[in-house]
Amino acid sequence: MRIWRTPVLWLAVLLALTLGMDGLEPLFRLIQPDTQSVIYQRETFLFLLGNHVLLVLISATIGTFAAVAGGIFATRPSGRDFLPLVSQIASIGQTFPPVAVLALAVPVLGFGEGPTLVALVLYGLLPVLRNTLAGLDGIDPAVTEAARGMGMSARQVLFQVEIPLAGRVILAGIRTSVTINIATAAIGSTIGARTLGDPVIAGLVNGNTAYVLQGALLIGLLALMTDSLFEALEKLWARRLAPTVSPA
Amino acid sequence: MIELKNVTRRFGQTVAVDHIDLTVETGEVCVLVGSSGCGKSTTLRMINRLLPASSGEILVDGEDVTGMDLQRLRLNMGYAIQGTGLFPHWSVARNIALVPRLLKWPKERIDARVTELLQMLEMDPASFADKYPQQLSGGQAQRVGVARALAADPNILLMDEPFGALDAITRENLQLEMLRLQRQLKKTTVFVTHDIDEALRLATRIAVMDQGRIVQHDTPENILRRPASDFVENLVGKQDRGLKLMALRPVRDLMTPHDKPRPAEPGADGLKEDDSLRLALSVMLWQDLRQVAVFDHQGNETGVLLRERLIEGGV
Amino acid sequence: MPSLDEPPNRVITVLGLLALVLVWVLDLGTVQPNRIVPGTGYGLFAAAGWLGAVTVSAGLCVLMALAVLPLRRRYTLLGILLTLALAALPDLLVIFTSAHLPKDSPYARTAVGAGFWSLLFLLVLMLIEVVGRLRIGRRGQLGILVVILAGWALLIRQGGLDSLSLMREFSNRPDQFLQALWAHLALALGAVAISFVLAFALVLKMMRSEAWRRPVFGVVSFLQTIPSLALFGLLIAPLSALTAAFPLLQSLGIRGIGWAPALLALIAYSLLPMVRNTFVALTEVPEAVIDAGRGMGMTERQLFLQARLPLAIPVIIEGVRITAIQAMGLTAVAALIGAGGFGTFIFQGLGQAAMDLVMLGALPTIGLAIAADVVLSTLANALQPRPAAALPQ
Repeated sequence: MRIWRTPVLWLAVLLALTLGMDGLEPLFRLIQPDTQSVIYQRETFLFLLGNHVLLVLISATIGTFAAVAGGIFATRPSGRDFLPLVSQIASIGQTFPPVAVLALAVPVLGFGEGPTLVALVLYGLLPVLRNTLAGLDGIDPAVTEAARGMGMSARQVLFQVEIPLAGRVILAGIRTSVTINIATAAIGSTIGARTLGDPVIAGLVNGNTAYVLQGALLIGLLALMTDSLFEALEKLWARRLAPTVSPA
Repeated sequence: MIELKNVTRRFGQTVAVDHIDLTVETGEVCVLVGSSGCGKSTTLRMINRLLPASSGEILVDGEDVTGMDLQRLRLNMGYAIQGTGLFPHWSVARNIALVPRLLKWPKERIDARVTELLQMLEMDPASFADKYPQQLSGGQAQRVGVARALAADPNILLMDEPFGALDAITRENLQLEMLRLQRQLKKTTVFVTHDIDEALRLATRIAVMDQGRIVQHDTPENILRRPASDFVENLVGKQDRGLKLMALRPVRDLMTPHDKPRPAEPGADGLKEDDSLRLALSVMLWQDLRQVAVFDHQGNETGVLLRERLIEGGV
Repeated sequence: MPSLDEPPNRVITVLGLLALVLVWVLDLGTVQPNRIVPGTGYGLFAAAGWLGAVTVSAGLCVLMALAVLPLRRRYTLLGILLTLALAALPDLLVIFTSAHLPKDSPYARTAVGAGFWSLLFLLVLMLIEVVGRLRIGRRGQLGILVVILAGWALLIRQGGLDSLSLMREFSNRPDQFLQALWAHLALALGAVAISFVLAFALVLKMMRSEAWRRPVFGVVSFLQTIPSLALFGLLIAPLSALTAAFPLLQSLGIRGIGWAPALLALIAYSLLPMVRNTFVALTEVPEAVIDAGRGMGMTERQLFLQARLPLAIPVIIEGVRITAIQAMGLTAVAALIGAGGFGTFIFQGLGQAAMDLVMLGALPTIGLAIAADVVLSTLANALQPRPAAALPQ
C-alpha cells in the first residue's frame, strides 16, 4: 500500500488546488495587483483538468494499443520484413519536435480537440513502439526457444512469455509517452483544445501573470502526479513479476 | 523410436544437414557429437520441428512428424537446452508445471508431480518451489530445466547441450545425475554435445557428425576402438584412447570377488563397484598400490582389484 | 550477402501500393485566391496532367517491380531510382503551379496537398528501407541527402516554386525568417552549451563525492518531468519580481517575459540527458582499462585525460545530441513567452489561421532538429574509437 502514497498525495494537492483556487485569490492579488480578475474564470479548472486528462488518456490508450500491436507484428515471422523500417521510424520519428507535429496537424485537420488528439496519438505512439521492440528484442532467445520447444503455441508464447517479460520496458515507454503528451496537450490549447494550457495562454496574451501561474501550477502538479503514479506501477510490476534476487 | 530417413536441411545455399539416416531405439541415449556448425543442433531441432526438414522423412514411433499436430508433437517430447530457457517471471514450481498445465492436468496432480520431480533431482521442494530462476545457481537452474523437460513424463527427451554452460564440476555432477535418472526412466533420448567425454559417458550409441553428415554411428566402445575415419580418431584423441576406454568400464568387470562380502574395517580406503577402471588406475598410481579394495553401495568389501589384471585387461 | 536470388522485398511493395493509392485519392495541391480563403483541391490527374500522372504511376510501378522481380542488384537500383525521384519530386509542384495558378491575380497562391506530402513521406520511407538493406554507412547517407537537397535547392533558385504559398510567406518576410533562425539557434545552442558546462561540472563533483549523486539525479529528473509550458509559466513570476526589485537586471534585458525565462527553462530541461549521459560515460569505462592504466603507473589525471575521456566522448556526444534535438523543439514553445525563434511563426500563424505561416515555422523547426541529429550523430560516429585509431602511429 505504501507505494501508492506519493501519487495519492500529489493527487490530493492537485484536486485541492483545482477546486480551491478561488481561496487563493488574495495571494494572486499580490502578484497581479492592478487587474480586476485574478482568477481564471472562462472555464472551471475542474473542467479543464478533466478535459486535459481525457485527451491524454484517450491518446495514450489508442497509441499504446497501436504501438504494441505494431511492435508485435514487426517481430512475428510474418512481419519480420518490416522490422528494420519500423524501428527506424520509431527512432527517427522522435527527432520531430512534438510542438511541430501539433502545429502540422492544423493545416491537415483544422482546429480543436480532434487534431490535438491525432497529434498526441501519433507522437505518443513512438516511445511505446520503440520500447516494445526493445523489450521483445531483449528477451533471452533461449526462453522463447524453450517455450516453443516445450509445445506452447505461438499465441501462448506471446501472451504468457513475451509480453510479461517485455512488459516492464513497454511500461517505461508508456510513461515517457504520457509525460510528453501531458506537456503537448497543454500546448494544444493554442490550437483550440481546451486544456490546462488555456489559463497560461490567456495569461500570456493578456499580460496576466496570475492566470499563467494558475495554469502552470496545475499542469506541473498533473505531470508530477502522473509520473509518481507510473513510478508506483513500475515498482508494483517489478515486485509481481521479477522478484529481487535475495543474496545467496 | 525415432527414425531419420535421408533427411536434409538447407539454409539458403548452405547445406546444414546432408542426407542423413539415423535410428534411435526406444530407451537408448543417442548422443550427436561434433564441432560447432556440423549440423547436430539442426538435426535435433528438426525432430520437434523447431526447424522443418528441407527433404526426407522423420518418424517418431512410426509416425511422420510432418503430418502431426505441432503442439501435440512437442508436448510429448521433453526439451532441455543450454542456458536452460527457464522463464524468469515464473517460479521454479510454475516453470516445471509448464507442460502439465498446457495439458490441463488437475492442480493436485500438477503439484504432486512438481514435488516428485524436485525430490527426484535432489532439490528440497520446500525451499526451491517458490524461488525464481535468477535466484538459482547454474547447476540448480539446469536441474530445474531437466525437471521441466521430464514433467509430463514424455517418452522422448531432446537435449541440446544442456550442460554446456556449466563449470566442470557441476557438469560432471549433472552427468552422473542424468545417468542415474536414465537407468530409472529409460527415456528415448537425443542428446547434443560438442564434448566427446560427455558423449562417451552418457551415450548408448554415439553419432559423430561432420559437415552435415553422420560419419560414424556406434557404441562408445566401438567408436574408441575402431574409429571410422581420421576425423573420428582425432575427435576421440589418438593417444589417450586407452584411458578413455578404461573410463567406460566399471571396476566390477575386472575385480576379483571375495567368496562373500565382508564388512569394511572402519576408515578403510577403496573404490566402489561402479567407479571406472580409469579412476582405479589413477588411485593405484598415486598411492603406489598393487591392489585396491572394492566396496558395494552398502559399504561391504566385495572384492579386490589387482594392478596386473587392470593393466592386462583394462583396454 | 547479395546472392543471385535475393528474396523479394515486401516492404517496398506495400509502401509503393499505398503511395499509388494515396497519390490518386488525395489532392496533390490546392489553389487559393488569397491567403485566408480556403482553396480548391486538385487530384493527381487534374493537377499534373496525363503526362505527370503517368510518370508518377509508372515510377511507382517500376519501384514495386524492382522490389519483387528476381534481380541481382535489386537494392542498388532501387536506391539510385529513389534518390533521383526524391530529388525531382518538387518538379510535380512546378508543373502544377504553371498549369493552374491564375496569371492575373497577384494574391493567388498554390499550396502543397496531402497527396504530395504522402508521396514524399512514403518515398522517404522506401529510401530508409533501401539504405538499411544496403547497409550504407554514414558517408553514403549524407551523400544521398546532399543529392536530394541539391535537387530541391536548384528548383527553388530557378524560381519554379515562387508561387507556392509557403514560399510566398517566406518571401514576404525574409528578414524576419533569418532573425527567427538566429534567435532559434542562439537560444537552443546557448542552452545546450551552458547546460553542457554545468552538467560536466556537476558530474565531476558527483564522481568525487557519492553523496551528490542521488540529489543531483533527483533534481534534474524532477525538472524534466515538469511540462514545458508550465515551466516557462512558473519562471515568469519570479523573474518579474527580480527585475522589479533590481532595475539593473532590466537594463540587461532580463524580464519576466522573453529570452531570460526561456533560456533558464531550456537549461533546466537539458540537464537530465546531459548529466545522465556524461555520468554514465565517465563512470562506466571498463574497469580493466583503468586498472591496467593504473598498474602501469599512470596518474589519475593522465588516466582521466587519456583513458576515461576519449572512451567516454561518443556517449557524451550522444547526450548532447538528445539535448540538442529536445532544445530545438522546446525553443519553438518558448516563443509563447516572447523568446522569438520559429515558434513565433507557428503561433502567429495559428492566431491568424494562416496555415502556411504555421508551416513556415514548423518545417524549419523540424529541419533544425533533424540537422542537429545528423550533425551530432555523424560526429559521435567519427569519434568512436576504432581499431585502426588504436594502433601506434
